[in-house]
Amino acid sequence: MAEKLLEIENLTAGFLTVGGTVKATEHVSLSLDKGQTVCLVGESGSGKSVTSLAIMRLIDFNGGAILEGSIKFQGEDLAKRSQDDMIRIRGNKIAMIFQDPMSSLNPVYTVGDQIAESIVLHQRKSKKEARKMAVDMLRLVGIPAPEIRARQYPHELSGGMCQRVVIAIALACDPVLLIADEPTTALDVTVQAQILDLLRSLQKELGMSILLITHDMGVAAEMADRIAVMYAGIIVEEGSVSEIFSHPSHPYTVGLLKSVPGLEGSRGDELYTIRGNIPGLSQLPVGCRFHPRCPYAKDICREKSPPSFTVGEEHQASCWMYMEDGGAAAWQQNESEQR
Amino acid sequence: MSEANMQTSAIIPPVDVQAVKPLKRPPGPWRTAWSKFRRNPYAMSGLVVLLVFVFCGAFAPWLTKYDPAKIDLMFANLKAGTDGHLLGTDEVGRDIFARLLYSARISLTVGFAVAAGSVIIGTLIGSISGYFGGFIDTCFMRLVDVMNSIPLLFLNILVLAIFGTEFRYMISVLILTSWMSVARLVRGTFLQLREMQYVEAARAIGVSNFGIIFRHLLRNASFPIIVNATLMVGAAILSESALSYLGLGIKAPDTSWGLMLTNAREFMLIDPMQSVYPGVCILLVVLAVNFIGDGIQDSLNPRQKMSERRIDRWRKSFLKSKI
Amino acid sequence: MTEFFIRRTLQSVLVLFLITLVTFGLIHAAPGGPFQMMLAPGLSPEAMKVQAHNMGLDQPLPMQYLHWLGNLLQGDLGYTFKNHLPIGQVIWPTVENTFVLMGVAWLLTLIIAIPWGIYNSTKEYSLSDQTASFISYIGFAMPTFWFGIILQQIFSIKLDWLPLADMYTMDKEGQLGDLMMHLILPVSVLTLSFLAAYVKYSRSSMMEVLDKDYIRTARAKGVREGKVIYKHALRNALIPVITIVALDLPLLVAGAALTESVFNWPGMGRLFVQMAVAREYSVLMAITLLTAVIVIVGNLIADLLYAVVDPRVQLGKRGGRSA
Repeated sequence: MAEKLLEIENLTAGFLTVGGTVKATEHVSLSLDKGQTVCLVGESGSGKSVTSLAIMRLIDFNGGAILEGSIKFQGEDLAKRSQDDMIRIRGNKIAMIFQDPMSSLNPVYTVGDQIAESIVLHQRKSKKEARKMAVDMLRLVGIPAPEIRARQYPHELSGGMCQRVVIAIALACDPVLLIADEPTTALDVTVQAQILDLLRSLQKELGMSILLITHDMGVAAEMADRIAVMYAGIIVEEGSVSEIFSHPSHPYTVGLLKSVPGLEGSRGDELYTIRGNIPGLSQLPVGCRFHPRCPYAKDICREKSPPSFTVGEEHQASCWMYMEDGGAAAWQQNESEQR
Repeated sequence: MSEANMQTSAIIPPVDVQAVKPLKRPPGPWRTAWSKFRRNPYAMSGLVVLLVFVFCGAFAPWLTKYDPAKIDLMFANLKAGTDGHLLGTDEVGRDIFARLLYSARISLTVGFAVAAGSVIIGTLIGSISGYFGGFIDTCFMRLVDVMNSIPLLFLNILVLAIFGTEFRYMISVLILTSWMSVARLVRGTFLQLREMQYVEAARAIGVSNFGIIFRHLLRNASFPIIVNATLMVGAAILSESALSYLGLGIKAPDTSWGLMLTNAREFMLIDPMQSVYPGVCILLVVLAVNFIGDGIQDSLNPRQKMSERRIDRWRKSFLKSKI
Repeated sequence: MTEFFIRRTLQSVLVLFLITLVTFGLIHAAPGGPFQMMLAPGLSPEAMKVQAHNMGLDQPLPMQYLHWLGNLLQGDLGYTFKNHLPIGQVIWPTVENTFVLMGVAWLLTLIIAIPWGIYNSTKEYSLSDQTASFISYIGFAMPTFWFGIILQQIFSIKLDWLPLADMYTMDKEGQLGDLMMHLILPVSVLTLSFLAAYVKYSRSSMMEVLDKDYIRTARAKGVREGKVIYKHALRNALIPVITIVALDLPLLVAGAALTESVFNWPGMGRLFVQMAVAREYSVLMAITLLTAVIVIVGNLIADLLYAVVDPRVQLGKRGGRSA
């Protein structure tokens, strides 16, 4: 078995508000091997970003906190580290890229300076050397004429370029883990593909692990080794990419896959949508969090939240369907008939 | 925006849950605003203070038996409380309490008249400028530039020095130097809305320019105008007191808080309290008006829940002092 | 850059030209003509005519305006009516005095307000934050001149710590220590009345910036929190503050008029008030123009600073934020 790089156990993170604490994620467990790509998939508001901010301990700056659980990274628990320790890890061993590249770059500094800053912070390099390395990084992420670009300001670059710069900043110190929070959502489709290609080739080159956060099943299919599906703050299904796509086991995952518009369908086909909306964090339903939207909800779903059941090889799903084998079989058969 | 932020904002609305409750008739925007305003302690206390001053100004002759202009050197510089002079008399024997009451009349009149006048002129100029754009717009905006390049107090003084310090001149000059913010606000809203679909649609079905301006555009600008006007009342009261203090505003036998301060200043050594009363009155009225303005802004702006946030803030600090 | 400079300068010249028109027009709109009172009373109608002719008052207004403008461009501001002193000689010393007062107060305000606002942005709802918003409400509502009077009563009359008024004590003219003592009270008044607003501006501007994605990027890079604030957030947060500071320039000159009057400070503001009372129109015109120049130059500097701080602003492409 491969070496574990990141092991999140039982992570509950939330925000402290006047009305009390609100949990944005609950009992999230997730692990990531060296060199692996894991995708965290879910709608907005499902707690994916909170999970990533918790790993970086950036959640502290948003009025949030880790309430329970551990985040073991290379054997040490990040949840117990102080912010002073974290600044040595952030940007160095763990790096992060964000959704909107245009607003992720500081408008008043040149992109070269912004990359160099990270290098100066974590490596014993002079400013001059760091600038040179910044140019190398720009070349690495595929920016043409990097010497010129390094002296430009973010507003002079396109969205795709900016995302490449953001990636360059993240990779400047050779991190072992890259957390990418919706790295392509704000970009044009053609640029999206370029950025994903870039991430993949850089991963091969640098040997890092990637935790990719996305709402797009297509992106997950393209990038992931393993997928974890999140809904309303909990992981509802987790498994290898082939398992998830061939035997989606949680009704929510099935819904997500069905709602991806395919090219094969004819025009008249109505797009599938999961009815209802993701519940607000202060109005979570009792029992299984998905039951108000689930077409297969039973009485038990309304009362108790389901534990995680093993449904395949390294494939878990949290759904009462799998309590006894009979229920599961019946449901899956029903699904295949519908297809 | 980060997802984390969205989630924090998603936490706030127990209010929304209540709003879902079936109502007999959905309340209009004004009614909602009022109910929100009522729950804002700052705005409500501001309203009460303002009403007290309005009452004092309106019923001044019934609240005191003294004539604020009557000079009686026999009773000069009386201490507070002697002979029914609630706050004593000034250096020429005028009753200070009576003067304060009558001053409220002047100050509030100036405040509201100036706010009303500025709103009318500002709206007119702003809407013409914003609706027609082009050359007219450029001209008006240059005018705004010119007005903003002269310190307005100087302009006020200049005009009053030239035309004389009559009451009507003072009100007019204050209006002439305070319409710009309203004009800019209205123009901004118009520029934003001019290209909107529904305005295009109105134009297409042949609604006149006048009709579009009044029925469609001004309604959208009305909330910010109201807030702006409220804050202008306070500003006008301050300007009036400043001008009167400098000897270019209200003149005896009329009375105003600013004028009282001029007198009081000359007799600082004898009776320091004389300069305290009028200042406190100005402070209170302007503070009250500003709180009301803030309250209106909070209650009319559904996106910002300022008053709730302020209460939260107090609650939070209260918690902090306990822990 | 040069193109921008030329365009802005031309624009400023246009505004200045309009200001000369407005002031000249205002003065000549005075009932009975502006110079009526200047002619010695009791003159025979013939003698009056002669004198008016000598002063060029019998010419049509446009000619008078051009004449005045021509003199102005040659640096000739004219003479005061009463003592027939050259106006330049009357104004210049006061300009210097105002600059001393204004400069000290303004610098002090910025030095205190910006760090304080930034501190408050990271410590929301703290005691310091609430003190600032308390001061801001009071600061907005309090008449500055009244505050000055109260300070005089406390620190000069009651405690006798500080000089009551003036710039120097008699026969101590030019001594720095004496000047400092005289500066304390007026500077406190000016600073306190501007402080609150600037604290609020820099606080809200900073808070907005701290919510931005690039701040999160900086933190994700492993930048220390202190450095996040002073390196990544501060420069961005200062951009809007600069605008507001520049737009407040006229307020500061005008505010000085009141404060100068209260503290008998021999500055331009006090001169303006004195000249207004004495109806020295030419001096008023000159001062109005001069302050307008200061304001316009201030705006120009602000635009340049803006471009220095914010690389997104390309000087050539901005049509002036004031329009």
